[in-house]
Amino acid sequence: MKESEMKFLGYPRPDGSAGIRNYVLVLPGGFFAAKICDTVAGTRTIVTADNGSGRTSADRETIGRTLIGLGSNPNVASVIVHSQSPGAGYPELKPSHLAEEIARSGKWVEFIDNVQEGGTFRALEKGIQTARKMVLEASRIRRQPFDLSRLALGVKCGHSDTTSGIAGNPVIGNLFDRLVEAGGTAFFGETTEIIGAEHILARRGINQEVAEKILQVAADTEKMAKLTGEDIRTINPVPSNIAGGISTLEEKSLGAIHKAGSSPIQGVLSYGERPPGKGLYFVDNWMNSASIFAGYAAAGAQLVIFQLGGGGLSGEDLLYTSSAVVSPLMWTTANPRTLAMAPTSLDFYSGRVIEGKETIEEAGEKLLQTVLEIASGTLTRVETLRYINPTQLYLREPCF
Amino acid sequence: MTARRALRLANKDNVATSLEDIESGAVVLVRLGKDSEEITAREEIPFGFKIAVTDVPREAPVIKYGEPIGVASQDIKKGQMVHVHNIAGARGRGDLNERE
Repeated sequence: MKESEMKFLGYPRPDGSAGIRNYVLVLPGGFFAAKICDTVAGTRTIVTADNGSGRTSADRETIGRTLIGLGSNPNVASVIVHSQSPGAGYPELKPSHLAEEIARSGKWVEFIDNVQEGGTFRALEKGIQTARKMVLEASRIRRQPFDLSRLALGVKCGHSDTTSGIAGNPVIGNLFDRLVEAGGTAFFGETTEIIGAEHILARRGINQEVAEKILQVAADTEKMAKLTGEDIRTINPVPSNIAGGISTLEEKSLGAIHKAGSSPIQGVLSYGERPPGKGLYFVDNWMNSASIFAGYAAAGAQLVIFQLGGGGLSGEDLLYTSSAVVSPLMWTTANPRTLAMAPTSLDFYSGRVIEGKETIEEAGEKLLQTVLEIASGTLTRVETLRYINPTQLYLREPCF
Repeated sequence: MTARRALRLANKDNVATSLEDIESGAVVLVRLGKDSEEITAREEIPFGFKIAVTDVPREAPVIKYGEPIGVASQDIKKGQMVHVHNIAGARGRGDLNERE
């Protein structure tokens, strides 16, 4: 693909970033946010039970970082922050703090103090009218061409089977190589699923510090796994992996890392942490769909990809509908049987590589084309449905 | 019957991944890059599952992607299916913790 073709139509933001969607976000989640979103078109909120109450400072920091990151995501035109949350009294989750941090992106942020407004229901009128003004204003922003370098993608591989490691993930890896080559940003993670392959990734760290950090997060995760007293194979690989032909965690990991392509790894990020620069980053996160996508969106990914094996699934045609709150989710698979099972849920098929009809390189170029179309406004299959699964933030510490 | 297809990913691999359902007794064309060799399936190998391309003695590493993916938990014969029944993972084995 010529460089001139590697552009997408995005919404310009004050900080120079480019949105591929154009939402008004209401934070945190809960009744107040939900009622605004029920009423006002073009709005989004996060649905989660992780409000921070009774959580350690590290976990509250994760929640705060995620909310600030979602608000700062380029797909968000403007943000309403309100005070109705059980965790709002903690410094990390203080609504004025969240609003100030999001406002650093230069976008329009309104803070509504529900008590000052005379209670939830009175505040709701202000919230609804503010959101209406915001979506109207957002609708005046026009898409314009942006280089691929403005795009950030996150990927998860799931219900992996042996087609994932041979074709599905390598095609994503090819996409990531093209994105990074063009100056864009790419996130991969799922720390449990690098165990057995961490030495290969460590060799790709840009320096010794990054290499050691990769080995360290894998070692920490394996140590926690061993403390359970269980064979990790009874937990992860998950049953659908085993039913799809994957025999051990090491086999799963060695296939999983192919989704990271071959670019140097710039650093290791925490869940929801924004990268200090562009390029490929490893995120120390949890593989679960309910958790991983919102973290990528908080890190700045405008689009997230679920690369599905699916050989071990039992015929379900509706795939997981979790969006990353503000970033669309697209589905890919390399398994012809998975495509036959869930044709209306999948956005891209790389199985012609398995069938021997296409190279990884050719499929990677087609995938980039599909990504650019989605970035320019074409809906993903998930986006045609209203339902969004709740988000489970990646909180690591005990609660009290 | 035309040979069934399977794929080896690296020189060191002692298993290949089936690219279609393989019947017991079928001749399997195992491809590695531009090279290929024929082996006979000793049992049914469903699409996406692994077939041993050499004998793998008990306790020996099972190699795929040129890397160990576990160890044989029993002797595996060339042409047999390789899966959870005959290989064990070596990582994250909390069940093998030494009792304090």
